[in-house]
Amino acid sequence: MELTEQTADSCTILSIDGRLDTANYGVLEAKLTDLLARGHARILLDCSKLDYVSSSGLRVFLTGLKKVTAAQGKFVLCSLQENIQEIFEISGFSGIFEIHPGREQALTSFSG
Amino acid sequence: MAHYIHFRDPNAPEMTELLRSIPLCPGTCIFMDVSRSTELKYTETLVEWGRKLNNTFNILLYANHLEKFIVKGIGDEIMLYIPDEELTSRVSDNDYYSLVENIHSALFLIRQRREVFLTCKVAIHHCTEAYNITYFERANDYYGRDIDLTARLMTKCIENRIVLSEECFTKVKQDLARMKRPLREGCLADVSRKRRAKFQGVPAPTAYRVIDA
Repeated sequence: MELTEQTADSCTILSIDGRLDTANYGVLEAKLTDLLARGHARILLDCSKLDYVSSSGLRVFLTGLKKVTAAQGKFVLCSLQENIQEIFEISGFSGIFEIHPGREQALTSFSG
Repeated sequence: MAHYIHFRDPNAPEMTELLRSIPLCPGTCIFMDVSRSTELKYTETLVEWGRKLNNTFNILLYANHLEKFIVKGIGDEIMLYIPDEELTSRVSDNDYYSLVENIHSALFLIRQRREVFLTCKVAIHHCTEAYNITYFERANDYYGRDIDLTARLMTKCIENRIVLSEECFTKVKQDLARMKRPLREGCLADVSRKRRAKFQGVPAPTAYRVIDA
């Protein structure tokens, strides 16, 4: 899995490329902690290239959401592939995360 | 595919021959059970507990890509068996540490959202003495002393807890050592000291550890 950080006008975009599993979930966890420590509490996770997730990855998403919310920030996901979308649905995660079909719509949500 | 055993003659020599030919099938046996499941049937409606049971199985099994390893369900309890060769052939989450870590994460997620899920308890054992056999046509099952032991470990389990046999814990530690990761990684930060229990029918005390989610 690779993480790419980009800075947009309204948020920090973190793109996840590859498989988020027990071998690397700590990398995403550390990255989110680092962003918050640097004062970046408006985070867009671009999941267009994320092609595998399991419970340990879902846990990082949930704890990320909680930390960002506590910091009065905004945590948004976009561009989930069909299999990832399915995992989010069956885990009940679709209802607790703000998820947009594409990056443009997600960026618009930050400008409000 | 399980070896099907069914003979009319109790002393059939073919049965002896077949049983002698069945190979060991080493792997990880997992029992998952819903906590206080009987009480729920009296305090919640079918719509309430039925929905939560669906959601709980989803997050434990489907979110962890374990559905193909379901052997059977008995009431609210499920038995999974993951043969070693199938575990290691997975592209991701293909070691014992991943199995334990993902189940621990699922228990954590369940605990966060009790309005959606039912709290569970889990026993995990790495089996060397297990055979993929069935006595019922078209069924899949596993038998052997290690399968029985996994079921016994469940008696040491409470909600939001994983009971891990010492054999399985050793496998997990070996995985972390191979990956050059700390032995207190992830859920292992909360692993207990070694405990021992004497189970009926098992000649020697069984060593195990617990991890609370």
